[in-house]
Amino acid sequence: MKGTLSRILAIAQRWVAAAAAAMPAFFAAAGGAQAMAGAPPLRIAAASDLQFALPEIAAAFKAESGIAVRSSFGSSGNLMRQIMAGAPFDIFLSADEAYAQRLIAAGDARGPGLIYAAGRLVLLLPKDSPLRLDPTLDDLRAALGDGRLGRFAIANPAHAPYGMRARDVLRRAGLWEAIAPHLVYGENVAQAAQFALSGAAAGGIVAYSLARAPGIDARARSVLLPADRHRPLRQRAVLTALAPPAAARFLGFLASPTARRILARYGFTLPREGS
Amino acid sequence: MSGLHVRLRQAGPIPLAVAFSAAPGELVALFGPSGSGKSTILRAIAGLYRPRSGRIAVDGTVWFDAGRGRFLPPWQRRVGLVFQSYALFPHLSARGNVMAALGHLPRAARRARAQELLEQVHLAALAERRPAMLSGGEQQRVALARALAREPHVLLLDEPFSAVDRMTRESLYRELAQIRRRLAVPAILVTHDLEEACLLADRLCLLDRGRILQEGPPAEVVARPVSAAAARAVGHRNIFSGRLVRDPGGGAGIAWCTRRLVVDAPPAIPDGAAVDWSIPPHAVEFTSAEAGDATGTVIERLRLGETEIIRLALDPDHATLTVHLPSSEAQEALAPGARVACRFPAAAIHVMLQGDAAGADAGGDGGNGGADETGAWQARSP
Amino acid sequence: MDWSALLLSLKLGALTVAFLLPLGIGIGRLLATRDFPGKDLVEALIALPLILPPTVLGYYLLVAFGRAAPLGVLWQSLFGHPLAFSFEGLLFASLLFNLPFAIQPIQRGFEAIAPDVREAAACCGLRPLAVLARVDLPLAWPSVLTAMVLSFAHTLGEFGVVLMVGGNIPGETRTIAIAIYDRVQAFDNAAAGIMSALLLAIALLTIALSFALGRRLLPPRRP
Repeated sequence: MKGTLSRILAIAQRWVAAAAAAMPAFFAAAGGAQAMAGAPPLRIAAASDLQFALPEIAAAFKAESGIAVRSSFGSSGNLMRQIMAGAPFDIFLSADEAYAQRLIAAGDARGPGLIYAAGRLVLLLPKDSPLRLDPTLDDLRAALGDGRLGRFAIANPAHAPYGMRARDVLRRAGLWEAIAPHLVYGENVAQAAQFALSGAAAGGIVAYSLARAPGIDARARSVLLPADRHRPLRQRAVLTALAPPAAARFLGFLASPTARRILARYGFTLPREGS
Repeated sequence: MSGLHVRLRQAGPIPLAVAFSAAPGELVALFGPSGSGKSTILRAIAGLYRPRSGRIAVDGTVWFDAGRGRFLPPWQRRVGLVFQSYALFPHLSARGNVMAALGHLPRAARRARAQELLEQVHLAALAERRPAMLSGGEQQRVALARALAREPHVLLLDEPFSAVDRMTRESLYRELAQIRRRLAVPAILVTHDLEEACLLADRLCLLDRGRILQEGPPAEVVARPVSAAAARAVGHRNIFSGRLVRDPGGGAGIAWCTRRLVVDAPPAIPDGAAVDWSIPPHAVEFTSAEAGDATGTVIERLRLGETEIIRLALDPDHATLTVHLPSSEAQEALAPGARVACRFPAAAIHVMLQGDAAGADAGGDGGNGGADETGAWQARSP
Repeated sequence: MDWSALLLSLKLGALTVAFLLPLGIGIGRLLATRDFPGKDLVEALIALPLILPPTVLGYYLLVAFGRAAPLGVLWQSLFGHPLAFSFEGLLFASLLFNLPFAIQPIQRGFEAIAPDVREAAACCGLRPLAVLARVDLPLAWPSVLTAMVLSFAHTLGEFGVVLMVGGNIPGETRTIAIAIYDRVQAFDNAAAGIMSALLLAIALLTIALSFALGRRLLPPRRP
């Protein structure tokens, strides 16, 4: 009896000791990176329209500076909120500079950062959509009337800049009231695009940069919507209050020719050199 | 002071007002109906229950003293407790169960000692079996061995035989009797089986609602209860009230309603005292109206085995009398509705003084002679 | 296939179990053997995460971890970084939302032991801790195992609370469940599919293992 007990206790003790000893290692591994010799990776919170452009930019940055980058994507509003609550990010790439400015005003980011691009909207339709690719949205209006329209995807206007701009466009066209019951909101513009691509929605208004992603042509068609139909999408990058010195280098890299080329390829409008 | 000395008192949740002792080697049976507190008393001795006030001491060691705030938990008391439900450890073998109580021995000695104990209860061959593989009687023997393994200073048995069949029970009685001869510790047996108490106990304590009605050798208590409550507890049937009347010539009688009975009165009862009396059902005789002490009407007649059970309603107060007759002697005429007369032989009448020290009918709290320093609340049989 | 996310999930599950094992045994035994005023309330609170929408739990945890809340402030002062959006915050949340999975099976297991068996143990001279180790645990260990397996599997699968409290920070709070969500949003269905299949396999394996072990070690039936 006692023998079994002490054996169990011994095993338990060893197990607890091992767990206790491993814990600092766990936390270190969790918190830190598989740091190679050199600086720890930069942690970037990026708007979802950069889903495809940012990995390319990051790779180029790594090749040039040796500094790795870890990205999290989401709606700009969501990311701003997380950073305000203390989420550990070094750089915030916002799709709408208003969010970046709020972060600066709250003391969680160091201004002014820089405008790295301007975004555009597209009407995105999956291959089998009943809608027609009409940038004036007249076909959309017709579809509302004759019942061709099931669901229509946009990003959530409450916290996603692309969602707000989509709402601008629809309001401008006088379609907002009519289309509101048909809308399905994505958590961010990438999820909205996902809804549109998957066929769950008849189509959607999403970021141009997402429609330029490789392989999308096989699944969908898109057309640019006129930029004067919505407020501009001035995309600002800022350093957070936690940013290490290396982060400023990334910001500088965003304005470099290499990064600008990548951004242009994904349909972003670039600020004039030096602005 | 060797042996077990118990004194407990509380108003609730289970009322208790008892004081008794058990000498080494003595088996005291606590007998009473459910709710009489007997199991509570046992658990208090074991340390599984903490009463409001009282004192429990064993061989000079105080296990519980409410006044001094002393309470030893069960694992610090040397008790052996045999449960009604056996309470064996299901995951251990019989030997394992016994070894669990041998913590006071060095590890190397435990297995051998457990085997020894199992031999004492004739279970050595089944030492490896788990409780699920043992019969009720075998499980109880293991429980007994486990209780003894602790080398207890008190052996406590909580209705240990009520869950086994009759034949097994009898062999367990023999088992217990054999073990007791070797064991020099007091033993307390809680039971609601009077026959068992009479078979096994050296002393019988009648309990009713937390009080001891009477205490003494079982044969004494059963034959000569000191109060109506005690008489009822031991199964006396025909219990009536009346007044003792002493003749100047030395004889005595009971004035019972309008009737007059002749009795052999115990000397301690004064003339005119209110008394209870009882007579065994088999002692009542049917006779003619002139020779009888009472008349009445048969209200029921039942046959149980070789005995006729006849109930009468007596004149004039319709007091119920139960009479047992061998079936061979009972006549046809003794049918419901028949008018009969019966007499009560003086030798068979047992007289009890009413309002005796342990008369539970007195009611109220503490109305029966308060506690003195040794807390003697019980009445002893003469 | 996001290996760091898988590793993170396994780590979270393992640490959750490591903390909840003693907690579950202690609290489970207490609830099984004692009665005290407010016991019903305690049991209800423990069961709460079962029926509460994960977002409600996530919301309250975010508030509690926040920079203005006492817990958040304490953590920040001790460790220099916030509790929200950190692995420690996830672990905290995981301990909370797994409470019913850890405690309830263990409590039932202890309740199934007849009280007089424990009393007999006490009368055999066993102190309360010895009774726990030599009577309660050997009898109830299948329930303990079930509780731990359930907690582990549930942690692997938890999404809502993790997303709200942890965000989606690679290497820190991006568990495999979040990673799947992340990959779907990035139009990378292939990666999402692989990870989902792996998670499914792990879940099935752990559940089947716990059932098989539990059944094997039930007491033999009386012939």
